[in-house]
Amino acid sequence: MYPVADKRLLVPLSTSVTVRQTVGYAVRSALEGDGPAELHFVVAVPDDAGMSGDTRHLEEADDLLERARTWANEDADDGALSVETAVLGTDEYLFGPRDYAESFAAYADDNDVDRVVLDPEYLPGATSPMLQPLERELAAVGLAYDEAPVERPARRERLVGAESLDRFVGMFGISFAFYLLLGDPTYWFDLVTGVVVAAIVSITLSHVTFSIAPRRIESPIRTVRFALYVPLLLWEIVKANVAVALVILRPSMPIEPKLTRINARVSGGLPLLSLANSITLTPGTLTVRANDQRLVVHTLIEDAREDLFEGRLERAVRFVFYGREAAAIASPEERGDAEIIRGDEW
Amino acid sequence: MIETIRFGAIVVLVAGGLFFTLVSTVGVLRLPDVYARAHTASQADTLGAGLTLAGVALALGWQSATIYTVLLLFFVFLTNPTAAHAIARSAAETGVEPLTDEEGENR
Repeated sequence: MYPVADKRLLVPLSTSVTVRQTVGYAVRSALEGDGPAELHFVVAVPDDAGMSGDTRHLEEADDLLERARTWANEDADDGALSVETAVLGTDEYLFGPRDYAESFAAYADDNDVDRVVLDPEYLPGATSPMLQPLERELAAVGLAYDEAPVERPARRERLVGAESLDRFVGMFGISFAFYLLLGDPTYWFDLVTGVVVAAIVSITLSHVTFSIAPRRIESPIRTVRFALYVPLLLWEIVKANVAVALVILRPSMPIEPKLTRINARVSGGLPLLSLANSITLTPGTLTVRANDQRLVVHTLIEDAREDLFEGRLERAVRFVFYGREAAAIASPEERGDAEIIRGDEW
Repeated sequence: MIETIRFGAIVVLVAGGLFFTLVSTVGVLRLPDVYARAHTASQADTLGAGLTLAGVALALGWQSATIYTVLLLFFVFLTNPTAAHAIARSAAETGVEPLTDEEGENR
């Protein structure tokens, strides 16, 4: 299997159903060789928890680390095993898989760790699947990893349970509302056919539409917040349109096309899609590449670039998906997440 | 009186839509490369179609066809950035170097 020469293992933990098995596997593979081994358990606190002074996440992290330490000591029996624990992300924004990978790499460097053991269900605070992008980013920063072989008993059960009901109800509501919007909500025939069509659509497509089940409370709140976001977006579009129109109509046409890279602090499919689409929708900024939260944006004029670096749209998208507190974030420029790049370095 | 205001508003909206569509055309002709042109091409969709459809909605008044107009606008706003991004991305993938202004490289 894996070479067992390495004795120091880094094990990122989150409260998943398989965290116990991951710890067990890490202990076994650490003790496979001879001589003393070192296990480093780390809990990465997601961006919103670390910076806002909310201590609840930190307490949870300490609690999890304490449990992991006990488990490791149980499993190690008499093996020569020392356990280190740490909480990562308290002094930096951890958002997407790349941030996690970089944070792990920095920790691995400091502590001379040579391999990472990943929990297949690793999900640190984020709502989107983490494992595959994280593996890609770990490979990119050159950190060796292997995935703990675990059994996931409850997984399939959970998918046909409450979550798929939520998906079904969400999809049914959306398609029924859309049907009646096109038809006549007071005509009985449209109501009946609407129910039939919505039922068929939601049975066949609800798993395609929602890769993550909608939340009963959060999703409607997000929809309302999105409705608040639309006027702001329209206003930004009008402003940008006028600015670009003025530049184009000037005989000298003072354009300054530049490529920029923005490390956006939104993660997951839908929030990123909203941000990248909003950026492209405003003339003057155009998303050329989107690699997780790293967006390569082509900017046409100085004003548009300043607006982009100020991150007003990013803040608005964070407000829509994460709430009001999350919207108060430093601008990409202040965070050092915005830079002008040349055409050949993307 | 109200009819006159409404008529005036419709004319202003449609004229605005036409203006931005014209600007977009001028931009596509004047701007240097595919990336810069993609910016201005989206103007025809956002404010060009946007203002015109707002004028249409106002002209139709309060009826179900107005809802279709708003929906139409919604879908234009969804598909426009997707198309613009697809064009820019495929240009980047086929190796089209963006024409960039390298003097102000001090930020």
